[in-house]
Amino acid sequence: MTIKRSRAAYYGKKLLIFLVSVILLSMTVFVISRLTPTDPLQAYYGERTEKMSVEEKEWARNKLGLNDPIPTQYIRWAQNALKGEFGISYKYKQDVVQVIAKRMNNTLILGGIGFVLTFAGSLLLGILCAWFEDSWLDKLLCKLGTIVSCIPEFWFSLVLILIFCVQLKWLPSSGAYSVGKADDLMDRIIHLILPMIVVIIEHLWYYAYMIRNKILEEVRADYVLLCKSKGLSKRQIMFRHCLRNILPTYISLMAISVPHIIGGTYIVETVFSYPGIGTLSYESARYADYNMLMILCMMTGITVIFFNIIGQIINERIDPRVKANEVVETSEVSEG
Amino acid sequence: MTDQELFTQVGIREEKASAAAVKSKRSLPIFSIAVLVLIILGCLLADVIATKDPAYLDLMNYTKAPNGEFLFGTDTLGRDIFSCIWHGGRVSLFIGFFATLISTTIAVVYGSISGISSDWVDTAMMRVTEIFLSVPGLLVILFIQAILGDATVVSLSVVIGITSWYSIAKVIRTEVRQIRKSEYVIASQCMGGSFLHVLWHHLAPNFISAIMFMVVMNVRSAIASESTLSFMGMGLPLDVISWGSMLSLSERALMTKAWWIILIPGFFLVVLLVCLTNIGNWLRQTANRKESNL
Repeated sequence: MTIKRSRAAYYGKKLLIFLVSVILLSMTVFVISRLTPTDPLQAYYGERTEKMSVEEKEWARNKLGLNDPIPTQYIRWAQNALKGEFGISYKYKQDVVQVIAKRMNNTLILGGIGFVLTFAGSLLLGILCAWFEDSWLDKLLCKLGTIVSCIPEFWFSLVLILIFCVQLKWLPSSGAYSVGKADDLMDRIIHLILPMIVVIIEHLWYYAYMIRNKILEEVRADYVLLCKSKGLSKRQIMFRHCLRNILPTYISLMAISVPHIIGGTYIVETVFSYPGIGTLSYESARYADYNMLMILCMMTGITVIFFNIIGQIINERIDPRVKANEVVETSEVSEG
Repeated sequence: MTDQELFTQVGIREEKASAAAVKSKRSLPIFSIAVLVLIILGCLLADVIATKDPAYLDLMNYTKAPNGEFLFGTDTLGRDIFSCIWHGGRVSLFIGFFATLISTTIAVVYGSISGISSDWVDTAMMRVTEIFLSVPGLLVILFIQAILGDATVVSLSVVIGITSWYSIAKVIRTEVRQIRKSEYVIASQCMGGSFLHVLWHHLAPNFISAIMFMVVMNVRSAIASESTLSFMGMGLPLDVISWGSMLSLSERALMTKAWWIILIPGFFLVVLLVCLTNIGNWLRQTANRKESNL
């Protein structure tokens, strides 16, 4: 019984931390966006704002409820949000949920497939490097990886566009599909290739290098010697023992990186004019589309906080000695 | 399997390999340092090296491919890219170093306060950084940018500095928490040493090696952020020449197939970033063994 109760308390505490963080996050974003001196009327009325008189502007502000003190505005927003109403987008004059729903798929496809491929690819690459430790292959991959991870995302995208779209004319340079071909799967895949390459390449080495080092640390452990003396082959030791030992750490790290990879596509989306959440959040922050901004920030924020906590839980389950924040810290440290 | 085979399989081989690896890892990245010094010298001596006035818009010769007169060609506004590289490099490097100075200062103060405070304050302070981390960076950047007014070199450095101190602060905090109960720290406090005295004379010497590589990496990411922000139209305007603002012309360059406008500044940028990374990695491996366990 005591074990059960303590486990409930454990998850209860995590849930509490999660809720408090989410509320604080929503307050921070709300206040910051309200204090930024960008005019939300610009998002609502577009170019007409410049021709509006002071009275008209005042009337519009009152109508949108922008003249109330910030706490009042926040409470109103929070009450509606709890009911599931996130308001309309000033720019699109539609329910924000509808606007986002249309684009969500695009980002999920790009980020999701990118994440899975990064996950699998970095594991393979890491094992490959560790297997041939200090050989020319390992050294070459390490050098190459360092260089590739230094290339800024936007420039890499530009170079790919220059080569494959402008010079060779093999692939389209923008959008998620050609006009009128929204349902054509091949067309979508062709549009996905370049952005996907950028997303994968930009993240691949970071994780692959981590796997490589983890394995190298693992093969120096004493049990590997024991396995060897028992006559197990290199492959058996690597896959049945070493990999098993590093997988849990890797999985918890990947849990933390879910929002990092899926949410980190906005530069790629902008360069390739890919209609996803990234371009939308850029617009909403730029033009003070408050309701849109709030829901997007909450979505990314909640995924970040959620997966951080998941990572902590996985890690604490695997190794009770690990203090709550440790994994998050190391993952950020290595990012530099 | 004979004994001899078994021995070669499990024997001293491993020791040898690791010793060699350690040696190769510890050796100074001379090539990277040399290239970095070359780039820095080139930027400092920009006035001597540059063949043209970087700000001059040569309307007769816009989007010219590299040739004898314009070594790296001209951009879509008719500026000489060769001259712009060296003058723009000054701005990019300045932003890299200044932003890092800002972020490191914030991180040292915040991290040490958090590390030396009671558990309760410490937890609260660390939670706050986590919440800051989950606020989209873009929003924070736009916010600070809006407060500071039009983007200048200094304001952009401040923006990048303010948004990139979290990870260093966390490392400092962890280090400080480990040593704050040591006898010499307590002794110093008992003798009436102020917070700044303890920080400077007792804490800093201990965590400086742990954060050195992060500081170098911070210079790297600040330079990368500058270029990305300027490219996205949120950083420096076109008339302030930096590698980022030069690259913001590339969308137009794509249409005219002017590869040199995209590739040349980008090449310099990547070379600089790679050098900084190599130096950073070297610092990490020599100065801080704990980090290499990643």
